[in-house]
Amino acid sequence: MTQQELAEKIKLTRQTVNAIEQGKYSPSLEAAFRISAVFGKPLESVFHYSQDE
Amino acid sequence: MSFREKSAWISVLSMSGIYGFYFWSVIHAGPKAGGFHFGGLLQTIIALVVLQVALTIAVAIFTPKEAKAPRDERDKLIELRAMRVAYSGLATAVALACFFGAFNPPIVFNANSLLFILVTAEILRSACQIVQYRRGA
Repeated sequence: MTQQELAEKIKLTRQTVNAIEQGKYSPSLEAAFRISAVFGKPLESVFHYSQDE
Repeated sequence: MSFREKSAWISVLSMSGIYGFYFWSVIHAGPKAGGFHFGGLLQTIIALVVLQVALTIAVAIFTPKEAKAPRDERDKLIELRAMRVAYSGLATAVALACFFGAFNPPIVFNANSLLFILVTAEILRSACQIVQYRRGA
């Protein structure tokens, strides 16, 4: 799946998806759930939180 | 580059160019010009609006999908952050203008100073958006 395809599915821009992938932007909870739903995976397996960040 | 970032660039460059020319004309005319030239300001505003609309339409023609897409959460966040910075600059500059206004400068100076402050705040807002988009924030 390309960034553009994912962006269209979750109603964000391609640039936002790129920023999320690079760790430069943290999506809202709603957007995070939409992303997880697209991949059919639980939230914890798509997003990881590190306390060091 | 997203459509929003392109719009910010259009805003920064067009306002800097057109208002830069306007203020250069005002300074060049000097106190001898007298009065506040609404005609000149009106021409400036019209030129700015025409230029920004034309450039935005041109960008939208080349990227129609992006132009039609609504702002997403990141666009809104970037806009809010930029607005906060611009407002802080605006408030500070107005306070300074009020301070220097106490020394009774000519009314033309006051009017153009306030306009300059407003234009600078707007350019600052767009510049902040660009910086955030470039950083990938």
